[in-house]
Amino acid sequence: MNRPPLLMRVKIQNTEHKFGLWLPLFLLIPIAVVVFIILSPLILLAVIFFWHKGWGKTALMTPWAAWRVFCATRGLKVDVQNPRDCVLISFV
Amino acid sequence: MTENQKKILEMLAEKKINTDEAYRLLNALDPADSDSKESPKEGKVIGGKAKYLRVTVMPDPERGNAENVDRVNVRVPMNLIRAGIKLTSLIPNEATDKVNEALRDKGINFDVRNVKPEDLEEMILALADLEVDVSSAKGEKVKVFVE
Repeated sequence: MNRPPLLMRVKIQNTEHKFGLWLPLFLLIPIAVVVFIILSPLILLAVIFFWHKGWGKTALMTPWAAWRVFCATRGLKVDVQNPRDCVLISFV
Repeated sequence: MTENQKKILEMLAEKKINTDEAYRLLNALDPADSDSKESPKEGKVIGGKAKYLRVTVMPDPERGNAENVDRVNVRVPMNLIRAGIKLTSLIPNEATDKVNEALRDKGINFDVRNVKPEDLEEMILALADLEVDVSSAKGEKVKVFVE
């Protein structure tokens, strides 16, 4: 498994507007971990409640699967440019 | 003999792949054993380890209309594709049945449960030699390759 991306860059630009963002993911990850720990009792309750309906395993595995997908986004780059617009999304 | 080489030879013995495909897969695994003396071309995977799927759309320099053509450069990590496919194992059976039913309504006779992570590795290995190069009438060059 890759290590998680550290930065996310978003740039959206057209003839009228311009939007750019550098998001420091390495600062947001600890905050997300704390929020997850705080919500973990609720998540466990949801797992127990939905277990007999077949969604319990999904609920239990989803955080780990989401983390793997998030780590796998490192290196993802989408860059679309035309004479009027420009969109850039990049995970570094 | 490495594990991957053994797997390729087993697939050949079970007739899942033909000899040409087995030869390409073995060369992609270990170019040091290959008889080819060609230097790696753009996007060629070294050592069989595909890292990114690249899609580029660029103006065709021979057409000379670079200003009016969209430029697209997409790089998707192979690990993202692997992680996405592995998400299918989390889908409960009831939801999988509904997905299969929706696919059948569209005329696609495919069972989502048949997608397994081990099959994905074989597919990614085979993608190592994938290269699509299209020149469109609109003056665009579209390339899809793995690096």
